[in-house]
Parts: sequence; structure tokens; C-alpha cells
Amino acid sequence: MLFGGIFRTEQLPIEATEVSVISGEAFAALMAAQDSPTSQSEVAQPAQPVADSEAVDVPAPETTPEQETPESAPAPSADDTPDVSELTPLPDAEVSDAAPVLPTPEPEVTVDAPETSETPVPQTSVRVAPEAVIAPDPEARPDPVEQDAVQQAETGETVAEPQEETAPEEAATEIVTEAEKPAAAPEKSLRPPPRRPTRRAVQAAEASEPAAEPLALEQSGSSAVDDALAETLGQVTETPSAPSGPPLSAGEKDALRVAVQDCWNVGSLSSLALETTVVVAVSLTQDGKPVVSSIRQVGSEGGTSASVKQAFEAARRAIIRCGVRGFQLPSDKYDQWKDIEMTFNPERMRIK
Amino acid sequence: MMVRIFTTLMALMMTATFSLAQQGPLRIEITEGVIEPLPFATPNFVAENGSSAEMGVQLTRVVAADLQNTGLFREIPATAYISSVTDFGSAIQYPDWKAINAQALVTGAVNVSGNNLTVKFRLYDIFSGAELGNGLQFQGTTEGWRRMAHKVADAVYSRITGESGYFDSRVVFVSETGPKNKRQKRLAVMDYDGAGVKYLTDSRSLVLAPRFSPTGDRVLYTSYETGFPRIYVLDVGSVQRRLLESGEGSISFAPRFSPNGQTVVYSQATGSNTDIYTMDVASGRSTRLTSAPSIETAPSYSPDGNNIVFESDRSGAQQLYIMSANGGEAKRISFGQGRYGTPVWSPRGDLVAFTKQSKGRFHIGVMRVDGSEERLLTASFLDEGPTWSPNGRVIMFHRETQGAGGRSTLYSVDITGRNLRPVRTPEGGSDPSWSPLQK
Repeated sequence: MLFGGIFRTEQLPIEATEVSVISGEAFAALMAAQDSPTSQSEVAQPAQPVADSEAVDVPAPETTPEQETPESAPAPSADDTPDVSELTPLPDAEVSDAAPVLPTPEPEVTVDAPETSETPVPQTSVRVAPEAVIAPDPEARPDPVEQDAVQQAETGETVAEPQEETAPEEAATEIVTEAEKPAAAPEKSLRPPPRRPTRRAVQAAEASEPAAEPLALEQSGSSAVDDALAETLGQVTETPSAPSGPPLSAGEKDALRVAVQDCWNVGSLSSLALETTVVVAVSLTQDGKPVVSSIRQVGSEGGTSASVKQAFEAARRAIIRCGVRGFQLPSDKYDQWKDIEMTFNPERMRIK
Repeated sequence: MMVRIFTTLMALMMTATFSLAQQGPLRIEITEGVIEPLPFATPNFVAENGSSAEMGVQLTRVVAADLQNTGLFREIPATAYISSVTDFGSAIQYPDWKAINAQALVTGAVNVSGNNLTVKFRLYDIFSGAELGNGLQFQGTTEGWRRMAHKVADAVYSRITGESGYFDSRVVFVSETGPKNKRQKRLAVMDYDGAGVKYLTDSRSLVLAPRFSPTGDRVLYTSYETGFPRIYVLDVGSVQRRLLESGEGSISFAPRFSPNGQTVVYSQATGSNTDIYTMDVASGRSTRLTSAPSIETAPSYSPDGNNIVFESDRSGAQQLYIMSANGGEAKRISFGQGRYGTPVWSPRGDLVAFTKQSKGRFHIGVMRVDGSEERLLTASFLDEGPTWSPNGRVIMFHRETQGAGGRSTLYSVDITGRNLRPVRTPEGGSDPSWSPLQK
């Protein structure tokens, strides 16, 4: 009675199927009447997977639900192609009593392939500069001018004035936002190492290896033209048309430009100041140090008077900071660089 | 070969031209610089009497933290100082500060007299060897010492960067406690840096989306006190509130003030349709701006009050649109993959901040008002609800962590995508809204 309400003894419905018996001849005739399936020799190839176009801002049809783009199918390797060669008839067997000699195994050819994809990781740093700089030695004081440490000799005789080691600060070439930092998780599953290349594939690779000689010849030829060009340019620059003394070479001017831009910090400038170009004049002493009182603004373009002031202050700081030890300029060309006009154009440094 | 000969000839011609042209000074153009925090020094503000010493230290720390938290400045530790500042009026030893690579020096003095507080400061450009602007003095009560510190920092920031500061501002947000399935929410207001939190409502009813008025004295928010979402206006000073009436049988939410503070734009759902309306705050008269059968919500005015950016799924997916403040045809501005929402117009007028959901992750991003130059600044499990600093340089938002015990935290990030940092609040926080600079 206790379980009577749970375990009821109702009769379950029974399904009945009618079965008819036919003869073997009738069955054979029935099967023959059906068409046999035609064999399909070629299977329709799937559509070529579309490459992931995440970076392209093309408006996708909004009614289409987002789908994961399948990964590109791996291209078939050379190993997948079977080696085909005509079989030669077997020679007659020669029977000898000599013990067989085991063939020397060939050295195993291995191919080292990275197990995971090496996605380039953007370098992040508090400082953004035109050239990336790896983290310097922690002992080194951050300074635009790199110097080795000079310490007192044990004998007590100082060979050179003691100097603290300095090194450029760590820098990245671009601002990396959090959204651009790659996730720590691997983007692809580990792939098995590739199969050993066959002897035929190795031979083919060796045969197709480009020779280095023509490239070397091309380089030497290019160098010869450059030498001739430099020689010609040198002759021209030595022409007496310059007002006083030889002008600075392009390399010397580049060095000066790099020296100043390393100290031109636009990080604290307003967006309006980053749209302002200022021209700053400065006079240098013979040892390449800027005369602070000579630094003046001689022109500007864009922005407001306030943003021009901010831009000029940043430019002035750059000249003074990086010129504190004197710019590296050829002393024999002092007349050419004693007065300089620097145009500070922040167009490339704007927030975009 | 012909190319090289041509190049040679061109180089010769250019060199010859240059030689003739270089009659004046040497001219070079600098187009690449560096972006790095500007090093500054802030010695403790000088105490002008015995009772001011502690206040001087506290005030100096707030000024230094304000500047350093921007990511644009780097404080040089006091242990590196060569010279000290013991008298506010004494001459500055520029070589000593230059030697430690300080580019800016902030000096100050504090005078506490009873309940009155006087703070003065000077800013020096070390490499120019001159004062940057004139010294300033602030007077107030000792209770308002943090505001005075923020004002000093705002002045320093403004003089160096050329743009206004944002430190003397407040943020209204939803303070959250408890687990996700039983979370209690109440309105709170705090300094921009998370200090001085004060609660404006209790946690008996759910509150959402508080928004400051342009003058910072009122807050719009949505409350479920009656069981349905209703929009209220709350006076921050008196904590008095009143209901903004909307249509019968409708649900109203996502309110935001117009730049002149006289109009409120909001969403109203009637049946299954949601549209954008405006309401005159004084008369309570409402005007319907959109009439599409889709969901239009999250409206935000442009700074000049002429346009409204909002989100809509009229094209099948959630995207951003801009229309006139009087309604009419809207122009779509977002075209990237994923869904866009909660747009907020920058106080500068040039950018729109938004939340983007793409491939299972949420981002805070910015784009120009024509939809160009989209930049994603953050990425996480859930980032949402951006709000602009008064100067349009920083965005605050909330980030929620995954799981039943996930916590919602306020964060701020520079519009360059750098300097992502949490804003410390006593409890969890969401839905921040930044006030204008205080007067």
C-alpha cells in the first residue's frame, strides 16, 4: 500500500507491426528494380576560407550573424605527393656465403620548427621615441648621452674623471593601448613537428638555393656608384660658393637633428600645441653648447598664442637639455653652425 | 643605371642650390620627438607657522599625486634633492634642480590660522631658469584643503600643458556592494581621485545612470523606487529630489542634461518600442525626437547643444548615430565589426567615446564625430559607461570582473590609451559621470 501509488500496474501500450513473407525470387526482382547509386568521382571542394579581416573597417551586413572565420587550411607539403618512378626488373639473385653488410644509416635530418606561432609582441614603455631602446642597465642613470662608467683605479691614480654610467632610457616606438596588447593565451594549438623532408625534397631545395655571388656583385657595384656620388658631392661641397667654410654634411646635420629630437618631449603638450609649429633660433658656443639667452622664437604656424608659447617652451627645453654637454659638431665648420634655426614640427607626434 | 645617373645629377643640382641658398643660419627641421612623463620636483610646502607643518605635507602629497596620476608627469623623489626650499621667497638654485633632471619645480607655502587656510605656490621652468607664470594664492577653510590642493595642481597642469586641468572636479557614480545576484546600489559622489565619498541615496531601491548637470549642482538619475524606472533630479547640495514626469504607461531612462542645463534628453519605452525624447526642465513639456520602430537610446548632446549622438539597432545591430538636437534624419557614424553603445560626446567636441562589444570582449574607444580614426583604448571581460574629464583628456569608466563574485571597479585612461589606472573607492563602483571643474 505504501508504494502502491507510485508503482502502478498499468498495461503499457504494445506496438504491433504487420510482416509479410515474400519469396527469394520476389526479393531479387525487387532489389534489381532499384537504381544503384552512381559513384561520384570528384567531391565538391569547399569554398576557399576568407582571410580574417579584423583590421579592415568595412561595414559588414548587419543582418548576418557574426561567424568565426575558419583558419586557412594548411597547404599540402611536398611529402604528401608520392614519389613515382618506374620499377626496374629485378636482377637474378646471386647467392654468396659472405655475411651481409649492414648499410650505414644516413644522419637523420630534422627540421626545427617553432611549436607556437611567434606573434610579434609590441614593446610597451612609459617613453615613446622614434627608435626603440631596450631597458638599460639598472645601474645606469637615464641620460640621452650614453657613457660608460669611469671608476677610480685601485692604485689611487685616476686615469679619467670619475663618471657615472649613463644610458638612454627605455623607449618604445609607439603607444600601445590595452586593447592592442596581445592576450597571454596561445592563439593556435600546438602543431606536430613537420615530417622529415624526403631525400628528393632536400635535393630540390639545394638545387633551388639562390647563389649569393650575384648579390655581392650588385652590392659592390652599388657601393662604387655611391662612392663616386659621394666623391662628386664632396667636390661640390668644397666649392667656394659657401659664404664661410665648408657646410655641414647631411650626416652631420642628421646627427644634430637626432640629438635635439631625443630631448624634444611632447608628451605633456596639449592637443592644440601639437598642431603648432615653431621656429626657434639659437646661437652655439664653439664647444657646441647653446647660449641660453640667445634662444628665441622667430616664427610659428598654427595654434593660438597660448599653444605657441607651450610649443616654444618645449622646444627650448629640448635645446638646453640635450645641448648641456655640447652638440657633436665639427669644430672646423663652426661658422656654419654657430647660428641655427630649428623648426619644431609636431605633425607626426599628434594624438591620432 | 640610368636611374642612378639621374639621381646623381639631381643630387648635384640640389647641393648646388643649397650651397647658394645657405646664406643665413643653419636650418634644420625636427619632426620626431619623444613622449615621456615630464620630471618635476615638489618639495613639501613651507609651513608659515607651527600648526601648518602637517597640512603642508598633506597638501603637497595631493598636488604631486594629481600631477603624477595624469601619466604626463613624473615626480622626482625627495631623496634625490640636492637643495631644499625652506623659504617660499628665497631664490631658486637652478643648477641643483637641473642636476637631478627636474624640468619643473613647484614650491609653496601653507598658513593655517584657526579654521582658515592660505596656500600659495610658484612654478619654475628649471631649464629656462625662470618662473612660469606668476605665483598664486588660495584662501579657504581647512575642511576644503583637498580642493585647494587640486586647484594648485590644476594651475600647474594648465601652465605646463597649455590645456585646462581636471583635478578640482567630482564624480557621481553608483556605489555597489554585495554579490552580483544580490547587489545593493546607491548613488555616491566623490572627488575625481576617489577621495571624500558621500552617499546621496540609500540602497533600498535600484538606481542607475547618474548624470551631472553642466553646473555640477544637480544630478539626473533613474530609480526603480516605484517598480518601474523613473527619472529624478537631485540637488547635490540639499540632497532634495523631484520626479521628472513622463508619459503615462511608459518607462523612461538614460537621461542626460543639455549643455545649457535647461533640457533633458532621455529614452522612453512604450510597449516594445524605445525612442528619444527631450523635456524642458522648467515646464515639463516633452518632445519626441525619433519615431523608428527600433530601439533608440543613450543620447548625449554635443558641447554646442546642436546635435545628439545616440545608439540604435535600426540597421539590425547596435550602432552609433548623430542627429540634430531637434530630431530629424540621423547619420550613422560607426561601421566597424561588433556592437557600439553608450556614446558620450567629448567636452572638446572633436571625439565621441563609446563602449564596443566585439568577439566576446568589451572595449572603451574613441572616434571622431564623423566616425573616422576609431581607437580602442581598453579591452576586458566587461568595460562600460565612459565619461569624459572636464578637459576632454581622460575617460573614466567601469570594469567588471568575471564570475559570481565579480566586482565592478572604476577606471580611468588617457585618450592616447596610456595610463590605465583604477580609481580607488571604498566599495565597488559603476556608471560614473564626471562633473565640470568646480568654481
